[in-house]
Amino acid sequence: MQRIWRATLVAVVALALAACTNAGASSGDGPVEKIRIGTLLDVTSWDPAQADIGFDGPYLSAVYDPLVALDEKSQPIPALATSWTYSPDRLTLTMRLRSGVTFTDGKSFDAAAAVANLNHLKAGVRSGQTYANVADVRRVDAHTIALRLKKKDDALLYNMGLGRSWMASPAAIKAKSLVARPVGSGPYTYDQGDSTPGSQYAFTRKPQHWDRRTYPFESVRVLPIADPTASFNAMLSGQLDVAYANAADTPHAKRNGWNIASKVATWVGIQFTDRTGGQLKPLGDVRVRRAINHAFDGAAILKSVGQGAGVATNQVFPAGDPAYDASLNDRYAFDLEKAKQLMAEAGYADGFRVTMPMSSIFQPWQPAVQQILGQIGIKVTWKNLSPADYQKNAATYPMFVAVVALDSNAAASVDGRIASQQWFNPNPSTEAFPELHGLLGKIGATTGKEQLAVIRRLNAEVTDQAWQDVWYQADNTYFSKKGITVTPITGMMFPTLRFLQRG
Amino acid sequence: MIRFTLRRLLSGAVLLVVVTSASFFLAHLAIGDPTPGLLGDSATPAQRAALREQLGLDRPLMTQFWDWLSHAVRGDFGTSWRNFQPVSDQIELRVPVTLSIVVAATLLAAVVGLVVGVATGLNPGGVLARVLKLASVVLFALPGFWVSLMLVMAFAIKLQWFPAVGYVPLSHSGTQWLRSITLPSIALALGAIVMIAEQLRNGFQEVNNQDFVRTLRARGLSARRVTVHVLRNASPAALTVLAVMFVGLLGGAIVVEIIFNLPGIGSLTQSASQIGDIPVLLGLTVVTVVFVVLVNFLLDLVLGWVNPKVREK
Repeated sequence: MQRIWRATLVAVVALALAACTNAGASSGDGPVEKIRIGTLLDVTSWDPAQADIGFDGPYLSAVYDPLVALDEKSQPIPALATSWTYSPDRLTLTMRLRSGVTFTDGKSFDAAAAVANLNHLKAGVRSGQTYANVADVRRVDAHTIALRLKKKDDALLYNMGLGRSWMASPAAIKAKSLVARPVGSGPYTYDQGDSTPGSQYAFTRKPQHWDRRTYPFESVRVLPIADPTASFNAMLSGQLDVAYANAADTPHAKRNGWNIASKVATWVGIQFTDRTGGQLKPLGDVRVRRAINHAFDGAAILKSVGQGAGVATNQVFPAGDPAYDASLNDRYAFDLEKAKQLMAEAGYADGFRVTMPMSSIFQPWQPAVQQILGQIGIKVTWKNLSPADYQKNAATYPMFVAVVALDSNAAASVDGRIASQQWFNPNPSTEAFPELHGLLGKIGATTGKEQLAVIRRLNAEVTDQAWQDVWYQADNTYFSKKGITVTPITGMMFPTLRFLQRG
Repeated sequence: MIRFTLRRLLSGAVLLVVVTSASFFLAHLAIGDPTPGLLGDSATPAQRAALREQLGLDRPLMTQFWDWLSHAVRGDFGTSWRNFQPVSDQIELRVPVTLSIVVAATLLAAVVGLVVGVATGLNPGGVLARVLKLASVVLFALPGFWVSLMLVMAFAIKLQWFPAVGYVPLSHSGTQWLRSITLPSIALALGAIVMIAEQLRNGFQEVNNQDFVRTLRARGLSARRVTVHVLRNASPAALTVLAVMFVGLLGGAIVVEIIFNLPGIGSLTQSASQIGDIPVLLGLTVVTVVFVVLVNFLLDLVLGWVNPKVREK
């Protein structure tokens, strides 16, 4: 018995000593030298071809340089590609490359390395879509490459800047070793010995890097924290300087004097997968789709379910984007009587039945959808699915509650949200809408301001056709301690390190 | 003893094959096509088809099963469908985290449960016994995540004695490792402490009233030596509860690992389930079954050592 007491005493003393050595040191009052970032997800892969754009940005931007980066307005800016030009037919993109850059394995970055990387990215299961329109990549000279395109691609540079042009050592690509360990030329080196995979990743700033001034912090730690409460607690306990945040915690963040940065990241509403009536006849009638749009009070749903963090709008172009048109937001003002009238005009005064999928992630919106659709006579039968099954099967139903990522590039939004086949939009069926189809053709034939004007017309047409029932655009929110600012970028679920600065 | 050991090992191996085989087919049945979850919302049907081919999902299910089983018996659980890293490498990184908190919680529960159980057994009507009774009701009623959050608020946020999140491996720093597992282990152990103490107290009281104890006292043995004899006879039930607790704590670790953001097998199970990463889920199933078999085997050995009658049975 005495031995047990003794062991207990030793354990308690050890614990007390451990507790006294508090490592949760705050950054102090001087300039912030070290930054600890809490993001939602663990790094998907150190191989840029297998990484996700969404939450992998902070990890990959530490160890890799991109060919093309984005500025704060999501415009492509030079990085390892110092300049680029398109051929007059915009089917060849020639890039001039930076010299004097070496990877951490000592190999030099040059045209051959860039070609090897782009071929690797083109073949990648996750990165391949960005290069779907690239026919081939060839070396022009030691520091110049040319990308030959199958067809004009106005979103290519934006997608490359978003996180699809990280350059890795060609030797590591060939050895297929990137899955386990990054070998890049980025501003930081990955400190594997000081990292705990799944818990925290440590990076140390290189003494020399061509873009050193963009990365002010001497060391970076990235902690994947899936639970928002745990992330908030880590901020409170001084373990984090920046956190991917839950908008509901904003009042607490204000009380703590933290910086709060938000920007729209996703649209929330109902996605129609059938706009021709092939699967569910009523949805082929634009009056029914318009009725559904009129029935939902997006601003009220944003306030009650979305904690007010976002913009009430009916568009898929991000609020503030050049293609976004604030005047279109009144097109489907909340009007239940108008919705009922439209249903009656379409011959569905008594409504109709529809089966919609549901999963735990979307349950916050379920009561509103059930009630509102019921008010215009649409009786919903819910089919419960697991979250994984939802993404797989939701689009097999004629309509479903959706949260879809936004892009801060008009051409990318047109392609990804309207024109091309995606998991959430398996039947774009644009050819069934002549006006819309014609505008898509014009977008393909124009560039610059002329193209933007057509995209704005397309936005108006898509809105008029009630292509989706968008209720609002939801923000991504980030908290940061005093002395650190975060610039959110729509399209990146967590911004890359260049968007985390002192200030 | 050798026959006993072999029999237990054989039944453990059969259990392992049955559970993992069933898990393989159930996982494929439940998850079906995992590519949407793995590729995200920008994937095209062509990309999904390419990934299915790359993962070998276009082959017949039985072919996939034999392929998996033949590699699994050699310790190769394949590669994760999410990050294409070997599953065994990920499990190797995660197991020490979960074992750290589960073993620490089990030890904590055993030591504190033993002390409280004996103290309340010796004095059933005392203040401590009444406190234990109250604590058993309260701690069973309180959800584990709430207890965890209260510990974080008090000791990580307010007092800043321990980190709110994260894990430091023992190889990096013994002190930091201890700090990182303290609150999660306490959160896991609280319910188990009460259960073991209750079990031990009841057993203690039961044995304390038996004839042989009276005889020991009549022969003039010291109170301490009598307590040791009583404890030895009262402990099998508590040991069984402790073993069951250990297995239960492996499951309970999921919630604690999420709240404290620990990269253990619990949080890996959760993330792998969300995206349908079947190779990781199967690897975790094998590891968990191995733990359950091992713990039960060790329990049998310890029970046999404490009470030779068990061996004879």
